[in-house]
Parts: sequence; C-alpha cells; structure tokens
Amino acid sequence: MDRALWGFVARRLLGAIPLLLGVTLISFLLTVYFGPDKTWDLVGLNPTQAEVEQIREQLGYDRALPERYVEFLLDLATLDLGHVEATGERVTEVLRRTIPVSLMLLLPGLVLGTVLALLLAMLAAWYRGRWLDRLITGVSATGMSLSFLVIIIGFQLIFGVGLGWFPVRGWVVDDFGDYLRHIAVPTLAFVFVSLGYNTRFFRAVMVNELSSDQVMNARAFGASPFSLMINNVLGNALLPILTRVMFSVPPILITGSLLIESHFSIPGVGRVTYEAILSGDQALLMAVVSLSSVLYVLALTLTDLLCRCADPRLRSL
Amino acid sequence: MRRPSAALPVNRAARVAGSARRPLSAFAPALFVLGLYLLIAVGVWLGLWGQGWAEIGSAMWEGPSQDHWLGTNRLGQDIWQRGLAATATAFEIGLPVAVLSTLIGGLLGASAGFFAHSWIDEAVLWLVGTLEAIPFYLFVAALAFALSGHPWAMHLAMIATFWTATARVTRAETQRIAKLGFIEAARAGGLRPRRIIRRHVMPHLTPLLLIQASFAFIAAVKAEVVLSFLGIGVDDSVSWGVMIAEASQEILAGFYLNFVTASALLFGLVMTVNRLADRFQDRFDPKAARLDACNHA
Repeated sequence: MDRALWGFVARRLLGAIPLLLGVTLISFLLTVYFGPDKTWDLVGLNPTQAEVEQIREQLGYDRALPERYVEFLLDLATLDLGHVEATGERVTEVLRRTIPVSLMLLLPGLVLGTVLALLLAMLAAWYRGRWLDRLITGVSATGMSLSFLVIIIGFQLIFGVGLGWFPVRGWVVDDFGDYLRHIAVPTLAFVFVSLGYNTRFFRAVMVNELSSDQVMNARAFGASPFSLMINNVLGNALLPILTRVMFSVPPILITGSLLIESHFSIPGVGRVTYEAILSGDQALLMAVVSLSSVLYVLALTLTDLLCRCADPRLRSL
Repeated sequence: MRRPSAALPVNRAARVAGSARRPLSAFAPALFVLGLYLLIAVGVWLGLWGQGWAEIGSAMWEGPSQDHWLGTNRLGQDIWQRGLAATATAFEIGLPVAVLSTLIGGLLGASAGFFAHSWIDEAVLWLVGTLEAIPFYLFVAALAFALSGHPWAMHLAMIATFWTATARVTRAETQRIAKLGFIEAARAGGLRPRRIIRRHVMPHLTPLLLIQASFAFIAAVKAEVVLSFLGIGVDDSVSWGVMIAEASQEILAGFYLNFVTASALLFGLVMTVNRLADRFQDRFDPKAARLDACNHA
C-alpha cells in the first residue's frame, strides 16, 4: 500500500476516538457516576462515620468526576471489570462463559437471515411490480410491523407447543442433533425478523442497480439473469448492503440475545444481562453497556475503512 | 459516519417510470383504522370504557363470556378491558416521544445542515454518532439504573435516542435545500440565518418531519413492549408489553387470549401507521428512496 492510503487509514482510526470517548463517557455517567449509591450495601450494621468514609473512599465516591472517568477508562482498557454482586464471580469470567453460547445461538440465524433476505430481494427486484414482488414486499412489511417479542412467542407456540417439532425451551448441546433442535425455534424467529427489515432495503438498492447503464449493457450482451444478478447487481450493490448489515447486525444481535435467551432460558450473555437489569447489578451492566458500545464503534469504523479502501471514489470524502 | 439510507441514491427506475401520484383515497382505509384506535384511546381518557382493567373479581383464566368478552387473565382481570386501557397507554407513550424526538431532531438536524461543517454541525454529528453507538435496550437499562426506576425513565430514554435518526435525515435534506436559489436570495436579501431556517427551510421539511414522527411513534410503541417484557418499561399500569409479558408465562399452559389480544392490537396499530407513512412518502416524493422506520424491536 502506498503512503497516502496509510495516512488515510490513520486519519480514519483517529476519527473514531471522539466517538469512543463519547460512548464510554455516557456509559460511565449512567452506570457508575449517577448509579445508585452502593455505600449502604457494603457497610455493616450501625456503622460509625469513619467506616462509612472508608467505604466511600474505597468506592471512589470522594474523588472528582474526571479522575474517576480516567480510572474507569483504564479499568475498561485492562478489562478489570469487577465482580458480579450476586455470585462474586469475575465479570470477565461470566462474559467468557456466556458469549460463546449467545454466538452459537444467534450466528446461524444471522447468516441465514441475511442470505435469504438477499435472495428474496433479488427475486423481488427482478420481478419488480409482478405478483412475486408484491408477495415478498408484503410479507416483509408484515414482518416489519410485528414485534420481535410477538414473533418469538408466536413461533414457540406454533413450532414448540402446537406442532411439537422442536423443544419448547432450554439449552442442550451434547451432540449436534440436540444443538440443532434447540436453536431451531430461536433461529426461525431471528430469520423472520431480519427478513422483515432487510429485504425492503436490499430490494431498493437492487432495483436501482438493475436500471443502471452497466446492467443494461450486460443485458444487451445477453447475460443470463443469474450471472447478471450475481456479477453485476450484487457486486455493485455490495457496499450499501455491507454498510447496512454492519449497522443493523449489532443492535439486532443484542435485542435477540436479550429476548430469546430470557424467554427460552438459554444461558447466554443476554440472559445474564437481563438478570443484571432486574437485580440492578452495576458491575455487569457497566461491562455489557460499555464493551458493546466500544465494539460497535470499532466495527463501524472498520466497515467504513473497508468500504473506502474498496471504493477509491469515497476516499476523498 | 453516515447511515446507509442516507447514502442510497435516488431511485432511478422510479424516475424513468414516472410513477403516478396516489389518489387521496389511498389513505382512507389506514386513516379509518387509525381513527378507531384514537377513538378507543380518547374513550379511555374520558372514562367511557376500559376503566375496569385492574379489577380482580372473577375466576382466573375464564373463557370468553357475556361479562368478559375476551375472558380473564391469571388474576381474573378482564382481558378486553385491559386491551382497551393498554391502547390508551400506547398513545401516552407514542405521542409525546414522537413529538419531542421529532422536534429535537428537526431543530438540531436543520441547524447542523444549515451550518454544515461548522462547530454546530460537528457537535451534532458527534452526539448522533455517540448515542447511536450505544445499543438502545442497554441504554434504557443503564438510564433506568441511573434514575433508579423513575417513572419517566423510559420516555426519556426513547426521546434521547430516537431524535438522532430524524436529525440525520433532516441534516441531509437541509443541506440540499440550503443550496437552492430561494435560500440564496433570502441570504442576499440580508435575512438572518435563524429567520431563514424558520421561514424558508422549516416549511420544506414538514413532510419529512411528519414521516419521521410516525417512525418515532412506531418505534416507541414497539420498544415499550420489549422494555416492559424486560422489566424496565411500564410499571403500575397496563400496556401491551405488560400483557405480553404476563402471557409469556401462561401460553405454555394453554391460555392464549391475553397474548393474542395484545399482539393483534399492537400489530394493527403499527401496520396502520407504517402504511400511512409509506403512502405519504409515495405521495409527497415518489422519486425519493423510501425511508424505513429504524427500530430493532
């Protein structure tokens, strides 16, 4: 790579710093600085003034905001996240245990949902205005209007209770068959939701691309619909699609993890977070809020960078 | 960092096809349904119906009957009455959130767009980027934690996050408008920027802001359901979210009325407002790429 490109990459990475400071500041203010006073949970019965002072000093309540924020940043950077109140387990340990479960649960649905949405969008764009297009856009509009929670409970009712094809809830991953049966209903719900609000966007991008000069040209040269869609349309629409996916994936993953895991009793990070919300566990809440925001900012910066490296026209912006 | 919807180019195919304006009658069915929902809500506010939602007097899990049109829940409360009262709750959440978040987003977005690349613009963009990078439900959880269960925590969190989408679209549209001839004329005429924004830019933003307000309304109504399920939403009242959270415990025992009532009412309202927003976009600017409500619920 040439030097200009490296300079560009460095500028982009530096540009993420204000955002990182922003999200960590908000997480710090909400979960630590303005969070509930923990002093009285920690002192014994009938504490003396000195004991109270000592606890407050340990918790850092006597220090100024900037000092505490910098300390918070250092803790976050070194992943020193404290302990869960209820069990005393280290927060990093809890995250290490639960995040793989959530990924195992949600990744299949995520991949399947995105690929299906792309395929349906291609079909709808190709048969624009015909009955297949209307059917696909109609179903996707319906999916968009349904609440994620309603879809989860509804699918559990249909496939778990009514048809009895899959387990109603729980998490058993002893062998591959068990695993597949237990992720079936959550995956179906997740796919349906992502279809709802991706298909319409993908279709709009593709309809637009289908009427471009280069696609017209390829068509005039007799390209088959399949090669046209894959080589010309998908290739050219890749950047907006990639950006859309990167923007929509993290929020939908977090919502899905929270709702699916708490409803199906699956021991993933969403369920732990749900319990932390209910019990007001500061350490875990702080860790989940700040880490997910920081990761989101990094993911978006990386996407932006990749898009701009792939498309030189965007580099001057 | 820009959102993909803002980067989407104008739909060229639509321009070529020159799609016709939809007649006003296309709005009628959706407006009628929306009117019904509003009627239910107003009736609840006036005390005409839906008042007995908290009464505990009947047997639990009764089927539909003359007294209880849709049966009763686990506590013997009337599901029909609860459905009506919850409709009013949906408007109590959706309307203030939609109005306030659209106002804030419109004002900040228009200022940022008009003074593009100034410090105002930079500050607004930074705030938008920051708030959008914090996952919504975690943000609400953190805010509820900080306010230790304040009754307005949910409204506040929604307003604090929903305005960003409006601000982003408004900023882009204002930048476009600010380059047009009549704005240049107003500037040359010596009008102050504040007056130009109010008198010449804002009127052109009205359709866009209306659409954004309807999206914020949908997002608020849907988010309430998820938040109430997570235990950080509606408290001491009844809402569709509260009903669905109740139902999630009883459907496995074979009692569906609570779930079906709340879900159907919720779906009907969201679908109707979605459709109105769609039709409205078609009418006021058929060539532009459609915007979508950005909610992850």
